[in-house]
Amino acid sequence: MNLDRKPELQQRLAAEFALGTLRGRARQRFRRFMAEDAVLAAAVQDWELRLAPMAAAVAPVQPPARVWRAIQERIGGAAVRPDGIWANLAFWRNLGLAASGMAAGLLAAIVFISPQAPSPAPAPMVVRVPSNEMAATYLAVLSDPKTQKPMLVVSAGRSSNELWVKTLDPAIHVPDRSLELWALPPGQAPKSLGVVAPSEKMAALKLVAAADLAFADVPALAVSLEPAGGSPTGAPTGPVLYTGPFLKYW
Amino acid sequence: MGADPLVALLAACAQSDRAAFEQLYRQTSAKLFGVALRIVRQEDLAEEVLQDCYIRIWNRAGDYREGLAAPMTWMASIVRNRSLDWLRRANPEVIDVDGEIIERVASDGEGPLAALERLQDGAALAHCLRELEAKQRQAILLAFHDGLSHSELANHLREPLGTVKTWVRRGLAKLKACLGARPGS
Repeated sequence: MNLDRKPELQQRLAAEFALGTLRGRARQRFRRFMAEDAVLAAAVQDWELRLAPMAAAVAPVQPPARVWRAIQERIGGAAVRPDGIWANLAFWRNLGLAASGMAAGLLAAIVFISPQAPSPAPAPMVVRVPSNEMAATYLAVLSDPKTQKPMLVVSAGRSSNELWVKTLDPAIHVPDRSLELWALPPGQAPKSLGVVAPSEKMAALKLVAAADLAFADVPALAVSLEPAGGSPTGAPTGPVLYTGPFLKYW
Repeated sequence: MGADPLVALLAACAQSDRAAFEQLYRQTSAKLFGVALRIVRQEDLAEEVLQDCYIRIWNRAGDYREGLAAPMTWMASIVRNRSLDWLRRANPEVIDVDGEIIERVASDGEGPLAALERLQDGAALAHCLRELEAKQRQAILLAFHDGLSHSELANHLREPLGTVKTWVRRGLAKLKACLGARPGS
């Protein structure tokens, strides 16, 4: 299906996507087109906005209390994603292909160090790719400069407003202190990206803009040790513990 | 028109304010559960959809743009999309033994339209839906509210697939013409 020169078809499919009559594989295919075509995505959004008031007119049904409890659990500490890129074998494969030798070496190390990182073998393995999210584009491995041991992995999709942080060694978290993540734009003061959640799980930090904008000029990241809750001044106050290059892969 | 309190709650959620998020949930979850339930038609699935959507709302509250849509509209879009994804995944048979779905809409287009008219940003859409031919309106309401596909619509309305597709297509085109090229304009 080539939609480029068929604005009428584009409009129709955008409408049927929003209405819900575009289904199954056609829906998924269209979603992929949307991810790459801002005009198409905007057409769908326009249609969603046109039609969505109908949804607000639907009769309410009280959900059982367990739903809220489950939501609370899932946002406890920091928002934790159940099936992110860590479960996505394609992510690791693509990364292996795209990464520079050094980064690939570091990642190979992570595959061994991190118990949750999937090994590239054996072959038959079901991988669930989040349906509407691209695999991460931006990736940093932050290491201890003394030991060269990788400590954290930071990643983001290019159009995402979330930065995912995975602590590889939970021992790095110190009681009553916080680890704060910084973007290091060249020639400028470090910019805080937030406090790393003291958890082994992957946690999200919110970005003020989509990753492509936020990280257009950020070749490296660092983590500093700060008072509990993060730096009170907006600039790093404690020692810089871990650093690493922040690379855009695709 | 007074400010929608949900706007402030979403803004607070964008600042990771959990209390605001709980308020938001209390005020919107019944409506959104209703939306999900009508599309996926199974309580356990609808609960999962709702969970996922609130996590998404929590994580993306900062993406909400006040000028573009009412908060409820924005959240309902998230729930509808997720519900339709679930339909694709679970591919449940349409369970409508008593013809309940078809009755609800087919008997009278007025119910949902009257509810729509009372909404902050629903009046124009209600007006334009009224302008459609009855069959077009019915097909669009069924597809939207109950998540019926073209072939399910054809089954329910006992009309050929091609006819139903045409109703939907023409109905949407007319809606767009009536509402203006861009929503809210």
